Amino acid sequence: MKKTVTFFGFGILILLILAFSKSYNTPLYFEVPKGWPKPIYDFKKNSLSEEGFQLGRHLFYDPILSRDNTISCSSCHLQQTGFTHVDHQLSHGIEGKIGTRNSMALVNLAWNKNFMWDGAINNLEVQAINPITNPLEMDEKLENIITKLQNSAKYRELFTKAFGDEKVTSQRLFKALAQFTIMLKSSNSNYDKMIRNELEFSEQEKKGYSLFKTNCASCHKEPLFSDDKFEKNGLALDTTLNDLGRIKITNKKEDNLRFKVPTLRNIQFTFPYMHDGRFKTLTEVVKHYNSLGNDKSLPKELAKPMNLSDNDRVDLVLFLKTLTDNEFLLDKRFSFPKE
Amino acid sequence: MTKKTWITILILGCFQLVAQNKDSLHVNFKINFDKFPLVLHKNYITSKKDSISISTFKCYISNIEIAYTDKTVSKEKNSYHLLDINNPNSCHIPITKISDKIISKVTFNIGIDSLTNTSGAMAGDLDPIKGMYWAWQSGYINMKIEGKSPSCHTKKNGFQFHIGGYMQPNYAMRKKVITVNSIGDITIAIDVAILLSEIDLKNTNSVMIPGEVAMDLADISTKMFYLE
Repeated sequence: MKKTVTFFGFGILILLILAFSKSYNTPLYFEVPKGWPKPIYDFKKNSLSEEGFQLGRHLFYDPILSRDNTISCSSCHLQQTGFTHVDHQLSHGIEGKIGTRNSMALVNLAWNKNFMWDGAINNLEVQAINPITNPLEMDEKLENIITKLQNSAKYRELFTKAFGDEKVTSQRLFKALAQFTIMLKSSNSNYDKMIRNELEFSEQEKKGYSLFKTNCASCHKEPLFSDDKFEKNGLALDTTLNDLGRIKITNKKEDNLRFKVPTLRNIQFTFPYMHDGRFKTLTEVVKHYNSLGNDKSLPKELAKPMNLSDNDRVDLVLFLKTLTDNEFLLDKRFSFPKE
Repeated sequence: MTKKTWITILILGCFQLVAQNKDSLHVNFKINFDKFPLVLHKNYITSKKDSISISTFKCYISNIEIAYTDKTVSKEKNSYHLLDINNPNSCHIPITKISDKIISKVTFNIGIDSLTNTSGAMAGDLDPIKGMYWAWQSGYINMKIEGKSPSCHTKKNGFQFHIGGYMQPNYAMRKKVITVNSIGDITIAIDVAILLSEIDLKNTNSVMIPGEVAMDLADISTKMFYLE
């Protein structure tokens, strides 16, 4: 009997500890759209909370993460353009320095296994280390950021709200940033509404969709519009950049000139296109793929010529524009946090 | 009775905390150059007749296991340790409660396993702030040795060996088993001279990426560890 009482007491104590340890923040739920695959991101290692998300949002928009406090994540990842750097072939960072690649769109990151055009980064949480320390981007040291954040009353408060105390660590910083970026989910484009039978495509969009399914969907797989793999897509090497892509990470011959298959969601606004931003318009992109074929060095999906007519190309581009998600691009929850 | 139980648990708990460090079995690492403690920035001559000095030595040791002659094994939870010559405390690792059992061998990994390398943002010794994480590409540096030698025709005659890589075929973590046959604390030497005795500094002086050379260096690095 006494034993039972002791166990009971222990149980209550543990419950109390659990209740109090969780009470400092508001849990946030990540909803997977109906019919979408299971996310790759391990949510068990980073429990989402409203406060963690807000801390991440503040960090995302704050140039405090750069050496001279001028560049924030949002400098190259603007919401209105699908969280990428519009109109620049190659993204520029601190002191106007120019990198070698076009910044990627940040969307539906929960379904990505690795990050960057060459997949150099293996987990969303450590992604930010790359741009933060890159001398051409934010050029800052992690220890300096920790000091700057510790000295800021605003961040001491935000860290307390998110994690229960004001201690700033790189792990908390990266988990919070990931809580913001993981929530950048786009699933309300006209395409999604068509799939959900909430609207109907025009005749041209229907034709475009059917051309897409025949010619593009094997790599730009629905509903994420990427298969999260690396492929060669027939672009000639730009000898001023000599960017060989994935091979630099894996040292495997077959990965030479392979780059990540990017998502096409919000593609209407994420121009310019390709890893080096060489194409300004979607028409140029479609023309490039239409010009390929009969080339053994290309993956089998691109081996056969597409033979698209001018009208086909127009229809295909019209379909691509149905991937624009205005609710996402204008969602106030993802915008600059006004105090 | 209930009250008494609580107090006993509390006292035992406190006792446990205090006792943990004093009565622990330690694995101690000693960073050596040719059997004597390595002194940073001191000039040494390697067996290859290179004149060298060392400015940095850091190394990850993980998953330490102690096996006893009675076939039992003591493992450490979350066993990830960064040894840094500039932080002598980092080289003394309490593993388990001390006992009078005879230790047959100690097993550990030099470096960080692949799973941990892909598991996101880490804290403690695995915090990327420790300078043992690559930024351009995800992954931990398992061992970092930097120094100078006139044999290196490089900027300021510097050499840098950043040995790492978590993806096959360039997975650079190495398992090391050391036979012990004694009771109590274990002291393991890590001898930098052994690594440098197998490197042609004129040609190999800057290894900063995973790959074949890093794999060769990782193989050599296992020979640096011996029981003292």
